[in-house]
Amino acid sequence: MQVQTEKKTRNAAEIRCKIGLLIFLLLGAAMVAAGWWGINLYNESGFDQEAAYGYIHKLSGEVDRLYENGILPVMNGLDGQLKTAIELRSRELLVSAWTDAAKEDRTAAVDTYLSKAADPAREQMELLSVTYSVAGPKVSSKEKKAMAALSDAERADFRRQVLAGVADETSELPALASDAVEGEEGLERAGILMQLFLTSVNGSSEPLNGDHINGLKKAARSGDARITAYGMTAEGGVSWLSQLVLSNTKTIILAGIVLLFDIVLLFFLLKADNSWHMDIKWIVILIIVDFLVLFQVMPLVYLVIKAFFPEGSFTFEVFKRLYTYPMNLGALSNTLIAAAATMVLGTLLAFPLAWLVGRTNLYGKKFFRSLFVLTYMVPPYLGAMAWLRLLNPNVGTINVALRVLFGLSDAPGPLNIYSLGGMIWVLTTFYYPYAFITISRAMEKMDPSLEEASRVSGASPITTVFKITLPMMTPSLIAGALLVFVCAASCYGIPSIIGAPGKVHTVTTRIIEYNGLGAQGLSDATGLSVFLMVIAIIVLYISDFVIAKKQYITVSGKSTRPNIVDLGKWRVLLTAAVGLFAVIVILIPFATILITSFKVDLGKPLFDSANFTVSHWQTIFSRSETMTCLKNSLVFGAVTATVGIVIACTMSYLLQRTRIRGRKIPDFLITLGSGTPSVVIALGLIMTMKGDFGLNIYNTAYIMIIAYLIKYLMMGMRTVVSAMSQIHVSLEECSQISGASWFKTMFKITGPLIFPSIAAGWFLIFIPSFYELSMTALLYSNNTKTIGFQLYEYWTYTSQQQASAMAFGILLIVVAINFLLNKLTKGEFSI
Amino acid sequence: MSSVTIQNVTKAFGPTVVLENFDAVFENGEFITLLGPSGCGKTTMLRIVAGFEKPTSGSVMFDEKVVSSDKVFLPPEKRDIGMVFQSYAVWPHMTVYENVAYPLSIKKVDKAAIKQKVDRVLAAVHLTQYADRIPSQLSGGQQQRVALARALVAEPALLLLDEPLSNLDAKLRESMRFEIKEIQREYGITVMYVTHDQTEAMAMSDRIVVINRGVIQQVGSPREIYNNPANPFVADFVGKIEFVEGTVKDGWIELDGCGQKLPYDGDVKGRVIVGIRPENITYAEEGEGELQGVVKSHFYLGDVDDCRIDLGEGKEVRVIADPYESKGVETGKKVSLKVRSFLVYPQQEDGQDFRKILT
Repeated sequence: MQVQTEKKTRNAAEIRCKIGLLIFLLLGAAMVAAGWWGINLYNESGFDQEAAYGYIHKLSGEVDRLYENGILPVMNGLDGQLKTAIELRSRELLVSAWTDAAKEDRTAAVDTYLSKAADPAREQMELLSVTYSVAGPKVSSKEKKAMAALSDAERADFRRQVLAGVADETSELPALASDAVEGEEGLERAGILMQLFLTSVNGSSEPLNGDHINGLKKAARSGDARITAYGMTAEGGVSWLSQLVLSNTKTIILAGIVLLFDIVLLFFLLKADNSWHMDIKWIVILIIVDFLVLFQVMPLVYLVIKAFFPEGSFTFEVFKRLYTYPMNLGALSNTLIAAAATMVLGTLLAFPLAWLVGRTNLYGKKFFRSLFVLTYMVPPYLGAMAWLRLLNPNVGTINVALRVLFGLSDAPGPLNIYSLGGMIWVLTTFYYPYAFITISRAMEKMDPSLEEASRVSGASPITTVFKITLPMMTPSLIAGALLVFVCAASCYGIPSIIGAPGKVHTVTTRIIEYNGLGAQGLSDATGLSVFLMVIAIIVLYISDFVIAKKQYITVSGKSTRPNIVDLGKWRVLLTAAVGLFAVIVILIPFATILITSFKVDLGKPLFDSANFTVSHWQTIFSRSETMTCLKNSLVFGAVTATVGIVIACTMSYLLQRTRIRGRKIPDFLITLGSGTPSVVIALGLIMTMKGDFGLNIYNTAYIMIIAYLIKYLMMGMRTVVSAMSQIHVSLEECSQISGASWFKTMFKITGPLIFPSIAAGWFLIFIPSFYELSMTALLYSNNTKTIGFQLYEYWTYTSQQQASAMAFGILLIVVAINFLLNKLTKGEFSI
Repeated sequence: MSSVTIQNVTKAFGPTVVLENFDAVFENGEFITLLGPSGCGKTTMLRIVAGFEKPTSGSVMFDEKVVSSDKVFLPPEKRDIGMVFQSYAVWPHMTVYENVAYPLSIKKVDKAAIKQKVDRVLAAVHLTQYADRIPSQLSGGQQQRVALARALVAEPALLLLDEPLSNLDAKLRESMRFEIKEIQREYGITVMYVTHDQTEAMAMSDRIVVINRGVIQQVGSPREIYNNPANPFVADFVGKIEFVEGTVKDGWIELDGCGQKLPYDGDVKGRVIVGIRPENITYAEEGEGELQGVVKSHFYLGDVDDCRIDLGEGKEVRVIADPYESKGVETGKKVSLKVRSFLVYPQQEDGQDFRKILT
């Protein structure tokens, strides 16, 4: 009996759920249909005139003046019959000026429009003048000049004669007009005369002023639906619903498609789960998925489609052209060589460093660890700038020192930063921390007794490293190496600062160069970015699906002291070596930036007479543009990090605390996003967020924040996820048993426990968003410039000293925020 | 085979002293257990013997050879020992065979000899058919035996076991106890075993070293440790016991508070602590027992009847009686108890509460 009741309740819930799904499915379909109807309605009633008459209402002041001062007096001066003839001819002209649709439709459309107007004659004239401003025959500049030379009285006379000529081919015309219509007859003749008439109405020899003509053209070209609706509403007789639909046709279609997609996805998830029970968690997942699908998947898919179908049909032409162009080929091989070399060098540096810092009794281990992690928080272009000062072939500090030291001639060299080798060096010094962090995290997790077991088996510490530690680290090692590879391949800051002057191009610098070259350039940029995307996808596949399965890392139940290898007599020597490395890679570049920011003359030493100045620092602090950029960067970074950490916490909860199906979908998309090279993300957004797909956020702060989110969300998410995985679920269950609600448990138990990681996650999203350059270079507008881009501009075009001051300022801000969060989390904060 | 001599070893991590003046000699072929509560320093002692920790002072010798002292330090790989870790530490990137063969391949033993020795040891731990598996395909108990095989394969002079059974379930733990003991006999090896489980220690050891707070409390055979514990801590840690304080007076111990007495002719004088093991108390006919009390609670466990008897004024003893004898015992009933034997310790002179030592 009870079983039956239960079954009944289940069935009822299932039916309710399915009905709900169906309703939303229909709603989605209705939205698509409504949007479609809106677009079609709009197409049927013609294109230009809809935009035009919508636009009239926007510029009614000018049209009023045109009508009241220019057209009305002339019309009123004509006799009734002529007036009617002119009105009829004007209607014909109006109909003929439209390019689309059959003639009968057009006539009907004009009649419908005019029949609704309060003053049809006036509306007709207005419409005609507006239409003629965009379409219609053009008045030559010679005629314009001649008209401008006429006095007001002469012009009024001229207008009357011309207007009479519109209706009557036999009437006498002024010389200027008769020249213009020489050999024309019928509507063509009338059209030219009408244009002359309208043009002569105001002093500027154009029916409307230039801004308004541009506005009209834009409205007509982009088919601005909003204007249509505006026009139709102004005209009366359109309901608010139609207005809403007509104003937002594309957005409504997009929303409808997203809704349909969600419902279908939900249906399959529920079906796979075989539990027809609605859960708020589904909605959360779907919202995150929608966000990612709209701003990440759609742009990337569109990008690929555009690369293969540049003109709407499949072609390899773009690729052929791009990949046979020598400069591009050079860029491709440079990118691959630089990324591969950086990967190898970076990993070779990172593994011993991670081992020394994590597993031996090296002096100052903690200090070194935070120092290497610090590099991770520094914008890469900063390193490029510093090394440029140090290794410039002519005046680079190190080159000068080497020449003096070895008594070389004053010829440039011996080292040249403007080369592939120079680029690899700088890339390595700035990307090895990525491998270092990955490897040392894995090393910290490794059960030390695995190594101890090898020691008691008779293996020396070195043998143990090679036979046990290294093989067990291999998956993390490869993951770290691949991360370095992708970062180096998709880096823009370093190649643009070092490569460009030395003519060492990379794919990223080529993409950004192409992007500046108009429509053709954009399609070329797309073609190149596909190359970066392919690399990224291969790497992502290997590291997330092949290696992740081979992860050996075993977390021991008991927290054990890590097995500290005694370096013995090597301890001092190795500490010195690590110290020297830190000095070369961190201290010298940072010091160089600081010193450069105080120099008057770049070429002279700091303490030469009168070569020290604080003016660059004063300049950057007093220049409002720089301060605005700084404010933008801080705001964008903070917004990105805050939104990102909310998503990250939600995702962590879904991943760690629920078994709900589909929770891996957003996780996968977020991983995909972070693996996609920055320039590819930015290009995709540029191409799809201009309004063509119902979303228009181009040139706004939103597009930048979204780009940052897609690229950096995962850093924050991984941090929170791993923190949450460390907290056994029993801690939460215990709180709930004690009577705390779910919310209270999150707030009192889970929240405080993972707070340091939340802070770290926030920081990890904030930092790269704060100093971002690659995506900003593609997405900025005048109102949304960031400090990173400003710095880049100043370095390239204005003053290296001021740029250095800004760079050091950025560094100070990063360190300050790091310090602040450390205080806030009572020292538990670490990345 | 070798003996282990630990001389006056002290170990401190910063200001925290975890081992103090540790002195012990483990004979050749002996099964020695370091027993103590968690945090007592037993694992640290084992790691000092293994060579993972250096003693702050003192020395360790294998036979006549000094392996750890102020001047000499032999790293673990040179000590010729086998070790089984609590987490097993079976390498996940090697097969069972490779794991077990590792110590031999490090010593560059030739392939045929390796094969022969690995096969023998795998047979001893009943893992022959699992040789080609990777560890993640094995159960906890099987992984544990891989670790044991690996520790034994090179026939070390000394085998160190760090709570090897603590991650196994109760049944498996019992059978592994037996297997380890068997293998020890077969290989004739000196074993140093660390555990906090007194039953495990009792069952396997030739001698037990009871440690508390870094200090050796007693060294002796399981029988000595159980029957003649050197102090209340050992008595409490090994087996069950209840303590009552009292005063020795004229051949009697007057128990505090309850006004009852036990006959005593030992050497201890003055204030004493009396320890009574529950199995040493039996029910007696009314008036015939030394102690009188009221049954406070009793739990029938099938093989025994576990009762708590209130002697008055909150003094309590525990009786674990044969259910046949304790028939009719009920909560609230007055009973008379006969005490077969008990332990007497003088109270600390500094007046320190002995109960603090126990925790």
